[in-house]
Amino acid sequence: MSELPLFPTTTVGSFPKPSYLLEARRKWLRGQIERGALRELEQQATREWIQRQEELGLDVLVDGEMYRGDMVAYFADELEGFAIAGLVRSYGNRYYPKPVVTGPVGRKGPITVGWFRFAQSLTGKPVKGMLTGPYTIAEWSFNEYYPTRRELVMELARAIHEEAVDLERAGARFIQIDEPAIHTRPDEDFDLAREALEVVVDGLSAYTITHVCYGDVPRIYPKMLDLPVQQIDLALKNEDFALLEVFRRHPFTKDIGLGVVDAHSHRAESPEEVLDGIRRSLEVFEPRQVYVSPDCGLKTRTIEETVAKLRAMVEGARRARDELGPRA
Amino acid sequence: MRTTSVGSYPKIPDLPAPGRWRSAAEKLQRGEITPEEFRRVEDEVTREAIAEQVEAGLDLITDGQIRWEDGQTYFARRMSGFSIDGLQRWFDTNVYYRQPVAEGPVAWQQPITVEDYRFARQHSPKPVKPVVTGPYTLARLSQNRFYRSLGEFVLALARALNQELRALDAESPPLVQVDEPAILQHPEDLPMFREAVAALLEGVRSPVALYTYFGDARQLLAAFADLPFAVIGLDFAAGSRNWDALEAEGFPADRRLGFGLLDARNTRLETVDEVLRALDRLSRVVPLDRVDLGPSAGLEFLPRRAAKAKLVRLSEVKRAALEVTR
Repeated sequence: MSELPLFPTTTVGSFPKPSYLLEARRKWLRGQIERGALRELEQQATREWIQRQEELGLDVLVDGEMYRGDMVAYFADELEGFAIAGLVRSYGNRYYPKPVVTGPVGRKGPITVGWFRFAQSLTGKPVKGMLTGPYTIAEWSFNEYYPTRRELVMELARAIHEEAVDLERAGARFIQIDEPAIHTRPDEDFDLAREALEVVVDGLSAYTITHVCYGDVPRIYPKMLDLPVQQIDLALKNEDFALLEVFRRHPFTKDIGLGVVDAHSHRAESPEEVLDGIRRSLEVFEPRQVYVSPDCGLKTRTIEETVAKLRAMVEGARRARDELGPRA
Repeated sequence: MRTTSVGSYPKIPDLPAPGRWRSAAEKLQRGEITPEEFRRVEDEVTREAIAEQVEAGLDLITDGQIRWEDGQTYFARRMSGFSIDGLQRWFDTNVYYRQPVAEGPVAWQQPITVEDYRFARQHSPKPVKPVVTGPYTLARLSQNRFYRSLGEFVLALARALNQELRALDAESPPLVQVDEPAILQHPEDLPMFREAVAALLEGVRSPVALYTYFGDARQLLAAFADLPFAVIGLDFAAGSRNWDALEAEGFPADRRLGFGLLDARNTRLETVDEVLRALDRLSRVVPLDRVDLGPSAGLEFLPRRAAKAKLVRLSEVKRAALEVTR
């Protein structure tokens, strides 16, 4: 990716939905507006986020996922073999619609490709194709059909592979496959999750990324480095870069998507803080390995918080670039 | 054989029915209702959870843990010495809890579960068992910023929770369930666990059940049999290797087995035949009149309708099993 600057800036995928879109989604769920009307607002919100990302000066953009409810239910809705079982509590009074596998899973047709094309048509910057990985889709769904988790995960891997191939054909040069559930059963299932990811990326020439968060990363390190992607994107900021100690003991051999702003706090980090995070990370990474990003998707933040965090992030990365001067 | 639930029950019904608990919790957060008003909603939803367990035909029920935000903070918030920190993943589930932090000596201050137990018993025609998170699990899932070692922390919690069990004694519950899932991941801590159990049960008169889930007790079953618990609860869904342990080592003749067979974390409903076959296999090791048949864990992992279906299935299986043996 020779045209990217040193410390390319990007994001993990989701952005907050504007209030007019939240309202429209509520109406659509109650059957009060047409799908087409909702889609127009999703497109409008996507345009706004592409424009904001360009104004902020991000290097690798995302479509912001204005058309997704959550990262698993969205794919379950679009794939063959799933239904929504109902609402399940995750904590406090937060509930999510949990999918259930009721038959053979597979792709009915392209899922995200249309949105990728739409977003890419709005900008000259590269837009990432954003997929949820097979292990995470399986792990966060009920399974009433497949006798084993392995069968379900591998079948999902084939479906997500088809989607990845179509994204690449549509021009995606960056494809991110999120696997936040990958360390759920690190001893029992890590190899399965890795095998599934191998199926997903098989034959791709795009630059591939996986994002992992919310769990015990040290438990799957260094075997995490066997994942068949070029970049692993991780949350560093919310544990104050504690993971760097783990990488010091065993070198990180891939590119790192370095989470430098906390996705779950209201406070905007300062550019100095971002710069400091990048500097600290350079004790264990080569500059060329580092992509700068938030810890996680930003959809739970407000639009103002998101913009403030990203502005600090882009500015911090710019200062880091200046500091390294001619080497960039 | 006795049918029983193992703990939590979904707080909201399936759509399109309104999720009263959920909207009340939102209103409480926004300050639109008072804690007393929220408590009344919890009362109603608790009665709903009790009614559904009773309708399903269970012999021994819980209050559904409607008032529990999670199994850790429900206790830690009501004890001294703890603060409550950020979200942590609860074992290998997609459920999160706020992590208690021991900032000073932890101590029991007042009854935690007693009022809730009284309420449930008043509103249930069936016997109710109170549930208490065990000291080992509570310590493992908390952060310790005060005690010099995990062992000291566990023992302090065991002494504190002993007072809770004594307070429950005054209510003469038919059984008290102590949850200790965390010990399954750390069989090496058995000596510490044993010491904690001794402190926990000291002077307690009510029969107490030890429940484990999310794994198997292969390395622990023999040791559990030496502890003074009336019931030993095992998870046969996530811990299918419990079969090996049971068949290799047998089961003590003077205990009941909490047979957690129906998968509490998957909506797939086990068939009656499938459960009968498992009971047949089990009966070679444990006579069925010493079996408490239940789900593998609390049912809050499921939407309400699926949770209810699991409980109804327990009763169907019990009826079918009685016909077979008749």
